[in-house]
Amino acid sequence: MASVRISEICAEIGARVYSEGDMARAVERAAVGDLLSFVMGSDADGAAWITVQTHLNVAAVAVLKDIPVIIIASGREPAADLTERCQTEGIALVSAAHPVFDICVKLGRLGISG
Amino acid sequence: MADPIHLEYEVAADDYQAAGAASNSVKETLKMLGVPTAISRRAAIITYEAEMNLVIHGGGGKIVANIDEKSVELMTIDEGPGIPDVEKAVQEGFTTAGDRAREMGFGAGMGLPNIKRNADVFEIFTEVGSGTTLRTVINLP
Ligand SMILES: Nc1ncnc2c1ncn2[C@@H]1O[C@H](COP(=O)(O)OP(=O)(O)OP(=O)(O)O)[C@@H](O)[C@H]1O
Ligand SMILES: [Mg+2]
Repeated sequence: MASVRISEICAEIGARVYSEGDMARAVERAAVGDLLSFVMGSDADGAAWITVQTHLNVAAVAVLKDIPVIIIASGREPAADLTERCQTEGIALVSAAHPVFDICVKLGRLGISG
Repeated sequence: MADPIHLEYEVAADDYQAAGAASNSVKETLKMLGVPTAISRRAAIITYEAEMNLVIHGGGGKIVANIDEKSVELMTIDEGPGIPDVEKAVQEGFTTAGDRAREMGFGAGMGLPNIKRNADVFEIFTEVGSGTTLRTVINLP
Protein backbone atom coordinates (compact mmCIF):
# COMPACT_ATOMS: atom_id res chain seq x y z
CA MET A 1 0.00 0.00 0.00
CA ALA A 2 1.48 3.30 -1.10
CA SER A 3 1.30 6.64 0.63
CA VAL A 4 0.65 9.28 -2.04
CA ARG A 5 0.73 13.03 -1.65
CA ILE A 6 -2.42 14.90 -2.59
CA SER A 7 -0.37 17.01 -5.02
CA GLU A 8 0.71 13.82 -6.84
CA ILE A 9 -2.89 12.67 -7.07
CA CYS A 10 -3.86 16.02 -8.55
CA ALA A 11 -1.12 15.79 -11.17
CA GLU A 12 -2.13 12.24 -12.10
CA ILE A 13 -5.78 13.07 -12.68
CA GLY A 14 -5.20 16.55 -14.12
CA ALA A 15 -7.22 18.12 -11.37
CA ARG A 16 -8.40 21.66 -11.16
CA VAL A 17 -7.85 22.87 -7.61
CA TYR A 18 -10.59 24.84 -5.86
CA SER A 19 -9.25 24.57 -2.33
CA GLU A 20 -5.59 23.85 -1.61
CA GLY A 21 -5.98 22.18 1.76
CA ASP A 22 -2.73 20.45 2.61
CA MET A 23 -1.31 19.34 -0.73
CA ALA A 24 1.75 17.81 0.97
CA ARG A 25 -0.40 15.47 3.03
CA ALA A 26 -0.36 11.84 1.92
CA VAL A 27 -3.25 9.41 1.68
CA GLU A 28 -3.21 5.63 1.41
CA ARG A 29 -6.85 4.95 0.73
CA ALA A 30 -9.72 6.27 -1.33
CA ALA A 31 -13.49 5.91 -1.09
CA VAL A 32 -16.30 6.50 -3.57
CA GLY A 33 -19.83 7.59 -2.75
CA ASP A 34 -22.59 10.02 -3.60
CA LEU A 35 -24.95 9.05 -0.79
CA LEU A 36 -23.79 11.17 2.12
CA SER A 37 -25.02 9.02 5.00
CA PHE A 38 -23.53 5.98 3.29
CA VAL A 39 -20.12 7.63 3.23
CA MET A 40 -20.67 8.79 6.81
CA GLY A 41 -21.30 5.21 7.91
CA SER A 42 -18.37 3.80 5.93
CA ASP A 43 -14.74 3.49 6.96
CA ALA A 44 -13.71 6.41 4.74
CA ASP A 45 -11.90 8.12 7.64
CA GLY A 46 -8.73 9.78 6.39
CA ALA A 47 -9.28 8.61 2.81
CA ALA A 48 -9.51 10.59 -0.44
CA TRP A 49 -13.21 10.87 -1.34
CA ILE A 50 -14.37 10.68 -4.94
CA THR A 51 -17.91 11.90 -5.57
CA VAL A 52 -20.14 13.71 -8.06
CA GLN A 53 -21.90 15.68 -5.33
CA THR A 54 -20.98 19.35 -5.42
CA HIS A 55 -22.96 21.05 -2.67
CA LEU A 56 -22.11 22.32 0.80
CA ASN A 57 -23.10 19.18 2.69
CA VAL A 58 -20.14 17.38 1.13
CA ALA A 59 -17.87 19.49 3.36
CA ALA A 60 -19.83 18.57 6.48
CA VAL A 61 -19.23 14.88 5.81
CA ALA A 62 -15.56 15.45 4.97
CA VAL A 63 -15.03 17.34 8.23
CA LEU A 64 -16.66 14.63 10.32
CA LYS A 65 -14.73 11.85 8.56
CA ASP A 66 -11.39 13.69 8.56
CA ILE A 67 -11.25 13.42 4.79
CA PRO A 68 -8.27 15.47 3.58
CA VAL A 69 -9.19 15.65 -0.11
CA ILE A 70 -12.46 15.64 -2.03
CA ILE A 71 -12.23 14.75 -5.71
CA ILE A 72 -15.24 15.78 -7.77
CA ALA A 73 -15.55 13.62 -10.85
CA SER A 74 -16.86 14.14 -14.39
CA GLY A 75 -15.73 17.74 -14.47
CA ARG A 76 -18.52 18.94 -12.24
CA GLU A 77 -17.98 22.28 -10.57
CA PRO A 78 -18.27 22.62 -6.81
CA ALA A 79 -20.79 25.12 -5.45
CA ALA A 80 -19.19 28.36 -4.29
CA ASP A 81 -20.16 27.73 -0.67
CA LEU A 82 -18.60 24.27 -0.79
CA THR A 83 -15.32 25.75 -2.03
CA GLU A 84 -15.47 28.38 0.67
CA ARG A 85 -16.11 25.88 3.45
CA CYS A 86 -13.31 23.61 2.27
CA GLN A 87 -10.93 26.56 2.29
CA THR A 88 -11.89 27.44 5.87
CA GLU A 89 -11.62 23.84 7.00
CA GLY A 90 -8.30 23.25 5.25
CA ILE A 91 -9.68 20.47 3.09
CA ALA A 92 -8.39 20.06 -0.46
CA LEU A 93 -11.20 20.30 -3.02
CA VAL A 94 -10.42 19.42 -6.60
CA SER A 95 -12.33 18.56 -9.73
CA ALA A 96 -11.24 16.26 -12.54
CA ALA A 97 -12.75 15.81 -15.99
CA HIS A 98 -12.58 11.99 -15.80
CA PRO A 99 -15.55 9.93 -14.67
CA VAL A 100 -15.41 8.19 -11.28
CA PHE A 101 -14.15 4.85 -12.55
CA ASP A 102 -11.26 6.36 -14.50
CA ILE A 103 -10.19 8.31 -11.46
CA CYS A 104 -10.27 5.12 -9.40
CA VAL A 105 -8.11 3.33 -11.97
CA LYS A 106 -5.57 6.15 -11.92
CA LEU A 107 -5.45 6.24 -8.13
CA GLY A 108 -5.11 2.46 -8.09
CA ARG A 109 -2.09 2.74 -10.39
CA LEU A 110 -0.53 5.13 -7.89
CA GLY A 111 -0.87 2.37 -5.30
CA ILE A 112 -3.84 3.77 -3.42
CA SER A 113 -6.15 1.08 -2.09
CA GLY A 114 -9.82 0.90 -1.11
CA MET B 1 -15.53 19.12 34.18
CA ALA B 2 -17.37 21.32 36.66
CA ASP B 3 -20.92 22.29 35.76
CA PRO B 4 -22.97 20.38 33.22
CA ILE B 5 -23.12 22.07 29.84
CA HIS B 6 -26.34 22.69 27.99
CA LEU B 7 -26.37 23.61 24.30
CA GLU B 8 -29.30 24.30 22.01
CA TYR B 9 -29.57 24.86 18.29
CA GLU B 10 -32.56 25.76 16.17
CA VAL B 11 -32.77 24.01 12.83
CA ALA B 12 -35.04 25.30 10.07
CA ALA B 13 -36.99 23.08 7.69
CA ASP B 14 -35.36 22.55 4.30
CA ASP B 15 -32.32 24.63 5.29
CA TYR B 16 -29.70 22.46 3.65
CA GLN B 17 -27.14 25.26 3.85
CA ALA B 18 -27.00 25.19 7.65
CA ALA B 19 -25.71 21.65 7.36
CA GLY B 20 -23.16 20.67 9.92
CA ALA B 21 -23.31 23.84 12.02
CA ALA B 22 -24.63 22.13 15.13
CA SER B 23 -22.44 19.07 14.72
CA ASN B 24 -19.33 21.22 14.35
CA SER B 25 -20.22 23.17 17.45
CA VAL B 26 -20.82 19.98 19.47
CA LYS B 27 -17.54 18.54 18.22
CA GLU B 28 -15.62 21.72 19.10
CA THR B 29 -17.20 21.95 22.56
CA LEU B 30 -16.29 18.35 23.38
CA LYS B 31 -12.77 18.89 22.08
CA MET B 32 -12.45 21.94 24.34
CA LEU B 33 -13.57 19.83 27.29
CA GLY B 34 -10.86 17.31 26.54
CA VAL B 35 -13.20 14.51 25.50
CA PRO B 36 -11.32 11.86 23.44
CA THR B 37 -11.51 12.38 19.67
CA ALA B 38 -13.15 9.02 19.04
CA ILE B 39 -16.05 10.03 21.27
CA SER B 40 -16.44 13.58 20.01
CA ARG B 41 -16.53 12.17 16.50
CA ARG B 42 -19.36 9.81 17.44
CA ALA B 43 -21.26 12.73 18.94
CA ALA B 44 -20.69 14.82 15.83
CA ILE B 45 -21.94 12.06 13.51
CA ILE B 46 -25.07 11.62 15.62
CA THR B 47 -25.69 15.37 15.65
CA TYR B 48 -25.15 15.71 11.91
CA GLU B 49 -27.50 12.88 10.94
CA ALA B 50 -30.13 14.05 13.43
CA GLU B 51 -29.75 17.62 12.18
CA MET B 52 -30.30 16.55 8.59
CA ASN B 53 -33.35 14.53 9.58
CA LEU B 54 -34.82 17.69 11.14
CA VAL B 55 -34.08 19.58 7.92
CA ILE B 56 -35.43 16.93 5.56
CA HIS B 57 -38.17 15.09 7.47
CA GLY B 58 -39.01 16.84 10.72
CA GLY B 59 -40.06 20.24 9.42
CA GLY B 60 -37.26 21.81 11.43
CA GLY B 61 -36.83 21.65 15.18
CA LYS B 62 -34.39 21.87 18.02
CA ILE B 63 -31.16 20.10 18.87
CA VAL B 64 -30.25 19.85 22.51
CA ALA B 65 -26.94 18.68 23.96
CA ASN B 66 -26.35 18.02 27.65
CA ILE B 67 -22.81 17.23 28.66
CA ASP B 68 -21.60 16.21 32.12
CA GLU B 69 -18.77 14.07 33.52
CA LYS B 70 -20.55 10.85 32.76
CA SER B 71 -22.20 11.28 29.40
CA VAL B 72 -23.15 13.28 26.36
CA GLU B 73 -26.89 13.41 25.80
CA LEU B 74 -28.00 14.51 22.33
CA MET B 75 -31.65 15.10 21.50
CA THR B 76 -33.67 16.40 18.61
CA ILE B 77 -37.19 17.63 19.13
CA ASP B 78 -39.55 18.45 16.30
CA GLU B 79 -43.23 18.99 15.72
CA GLY B 80 -43.20 17.43 12.28
CA PRO B 81 -45.20 14.59 10.78
CA GLY B 82 -43.92 11.88 13.16
CA ILE B 83 -42.76 8.40 12.17
CA PRO B 84 -45.53 5.84 11.53
CA ASP B 85 -43.31 2.75 11.85
CA VAL B 86 -40.16 3.29 13.89
CA GLU B 87 -38.94 -0.27 13.52
CA LYS B 88 -38.95 0.17 9.76
CA ALA B 89 -37.41 3.64 9.91
CA VAL B 90 -34.32 2.41 11.76
CA GLN B 91 -33.62 -0.29 9.17
CA GLU B 92 -30.76 0.36 6.77
CA GLY B 93 -32.07 1.54 3.42
CA PHE B 94 -35.51 2.68 4.53
CA THR B 95 -36.25 6.22 3.39
CA THR B 96 -39.11 8.51 2.52
CA ALA B 97 -36.77 11.27 1.28
CA GLY B 98 -38.16 13.20 -1.69
CA ASP B 99 -36.52 13.98 -5.02
CA ARG B 100 -34.78 17.16 -3.92
CA ALA B 101 -33.12 15.47 -0.94
CA ARG B 102 -32.14 12.46 -3.05
CA GLU B 103 -30.53 14.60 -5.71
CA MET B 104 -28.32 16.01 -2.99
CA GLY B 105 -27.27 12.55 -1.89
CA PHE B 106 -29.64 12.15 1.03
CA GLY B 107 -32.05 9.27 1.31
CA ALA B 108 -29.66 6.35 1.66
CA GLY B 109 -31.72 5.36 4.67
CA MET B 110 -28.51 5.23 6.67
CA GLY B 111 -28.95 8.19 9.01
CA LEU B 112 -30.81 6.51 11.87
CA PRO B 113 -28.65 3.34 11.59
CA ASN B 114 -25.53 5.55 11.77
CA ILE B 115 -26.95 7.29 14.84
CA LYS B 116 -27.82 3.99 16.50
CA ARG B 117 -24.38 2.55 15.85
CA ASN B 118 -22.67 5.53 17.47
CA ALA B 119 -24.93 5.79 20.52
CA ASP B 120 -24.97 3.84 23.79
CA VAL B 121 -28.61 4.76 24.33
CA PHE B 122 -30.95 5.26 21.36
CA GLU B 123 -34.61 6.13 21.83
CA ILE B 124 -37.31 7.51 19.56
CA PHE B 125 -40.56 8.95 20.90
CA THR B 126 -42.90 9.78 18.07
CA GLU B 127 -46.54 10.33 17.30
CA VAL B 128 -47.94 10.72 13.83
CA GLY B 129 -49.16 14.28 13.42
CA SER B 130 -47.45 15.66 16.52
CA GLY B 131 -43.72 15.15 16.11
CA THR B 132 -40.63 13.20 16.97
CA THR B 133 -38.10 13.28 19.76
CA LEU B 134 -34.86 11.42 19.31
CA ARG B 135 -32.75 10.84 22.42
CA THR B 136 -29.27 9.42 22.39
CA VAL B 137 -26.62 9.10 25.05
CA ILE B 138 -22.93 8.43 24.71
CA ASN B 139 -21.23 7.29 27.91
CA LEU B 140 -17.93 8.96 28.70
CA PRO B 141 -14.98 6.86 29.89
N1 LIG C 1 -37.48 13.74 12.56
C1 LIG C 1 -38.15 12.95 11.73
N2 LIG C 1 -39.47 13.19 11.46
C2 LIG C 1 -40.17 12.39 10.63
N3 LIG C 1 -39.66 11.32 10.02
C3 LIG C 1 -38.36 11.01 10.24
C4 LIG C 1 -37.55 11.80 11.10
N4 LIG C 1 -36.32 11.24 11.14
C5 LIG C 1 -36.35 10.17 10.34
N5 LIG C 1 -37.60 10.01 9.80
C6 LIG C 1 -38.06 8.92 8.91
O1 LIG C 1 -37.16 7.83 9.01
C7 LIG C 1 -36.62 7.52 7.71
C8 LIG C 1 -35.22 6.99 7.87
O2 LIG C 1 -34.32 8.00 8.36
P1 LIG C 1 -32.77 7.89 8.04
O3 LIG C 1 -32.10 9.06 8.63
O4 LIG C 1 -32.30 6.55 8.47
O5 LIG C 1 -32.72 7.90 6.46
P2 LIG C 1 -32.95 9.14 5.47
O6 LIG C 1 -32.91 10.42 6.22
O7 LIG C 1 -34.19 8.86 4.70
O8 LIG C 1 -31.69 9.03 4.50
P3 LIG C 1 -30.16 9.38 4.92
O9 LIG C 1 -30.14 9.68 6.37
O10 LIG C 1 -29.40 8.15 4.57
O11 LIG C 1 -29.80 10.55 4.06
C9 LIG C 1 -36.74 8.81 6.94
O12 LIG C 1 -36.72 8.62 5.55
C10 LIG C 1 -38.09 9.34 7.44
O13 LIG C 1 -39.15 8.65 6.83
MG1 LIG D 1 -31.36 10.84 7.56
